Amino acid sequence: MKYSYIKPRKKSAITVELKFVFIFFSVSIFMLFSVYSFLLFKDYYFYKETATIETKQKELESSISKMKEQISFIQKEVLVAEDIHTKNSVLRDSISNLFDLIPQRITLSEAKLMKNGLILYGITPTKDVYNFMLQAPLRSIFTRTYSSFYPDENGWLRFVSTNYVDNKKDLFVEGEIDED
Amino acid sequence: MKINISRPNIFLIAIATFLLIFVVLFSFLVLIPKGKEYRVQRLSVKKLNSQLRQYQNFNDSTLEKLKNLQKKNRHSITAFDNIFNPDRFEKQNSKYFLSLKLAKIKRTKKYEESFDTYEVNTTSKISSPQSFYNFLDSVNKSDWIIEVNFPIHFKRDKDVINSTFTMKVYVASKDGKKKS
Repeated sequence: MKYSYIKPRKKSAITVELKFVFIFFSVSIFMLFSVYSFLLFKDYYFYKETATIETKQKELESSISKMKEQISFIQKEVLVAEDIHTKNSVLRDSISNLFDLIPQRITLSEAKLMKNGLILYGITPTKDVYNFMLQAPLRSIFTRTYSSFYPDENGWLRFVSTNYVDNKKDLFVEGEIDED
Repeated sequence: MKINISRPNIFLIAIATFLLIFVVLFSFLVLIPKGKEYRVQRLSVKKLNSQLRQYQNFNDSTLEKLKNLQKKNRHSITAFDNIFNPDRFEKQNSKYFLSLKLAKIKRTKKYEESFDTYEVNTTSKISSPQSFYNFLDSVNKSDWIIEVNFPIHFKRDKDVINSTFTMKVYVASKDGKKKS
């Protein structure tokens, strides 16, 4: 005998509503954990990236500092080389100017060039020729000039001219001779 | 009034409430702080990357400057690195002298803490002062950094001039390179 017009259904604890709730929260929790995993991965990635950047930065700093040292040393070398080259050139011009000072009638036999002085040995026909043609320009260059004469066999005079500058500057390198 | 809620519905509400509380707590206590931290870290990495680019650019420009400097002053740099070789020097400069002899190569005090200096006494014979001028010109182009120094002595001997002079050879010291 039937008491109902519908067929009997199986009853379960997991209802359709419960399934919906589970699906909804499963999706939500999955998304939350996905975002969290992404953030954790990025955190690790940033940590690694920061370490790499810092290492590279330190390497670059060291490389820059080394190059700066090299640049400064090369600049120093260039300055010293230029200074020495200038000194050599000035010395060349100074010696050339010194020999140009010697008049035709006077013959030099010896010349000693020192840092602050000059000693000349030579022969002159007369004292006057020496005084006017050599001693005068020498006096304009040097602060102290001493001359001594002694007769030669042919009647000419042998002379020794000793000249000094009192200041501490290098006579030839500073180019005082050029001024005459 | 009595509210009649069935047992499955109570179970459903309890599960939904529990999951909702979990989602809210997880979001506010874990996810949002982590997100903020991510934003800060992203900015920090961006800043570090920009700094690194600046360092890289500065490194590149310094390297270019160094290379240009090395290219421009190759002769001076090589000359400072060369160790003085008396035989080679005599061979290279013999054309300016009738005879050239180097003696007493002695190490002198350091120049500006970066350069070792060696003093070389030289005796030579020249046919005219012009040969000495040519020698001074060529010294500036030689394989070493050489300063012709005082005292310089010229003495006439019949048709030739005996000359003695001192040369100072500059070599870049290893300590100096490290220091600067």
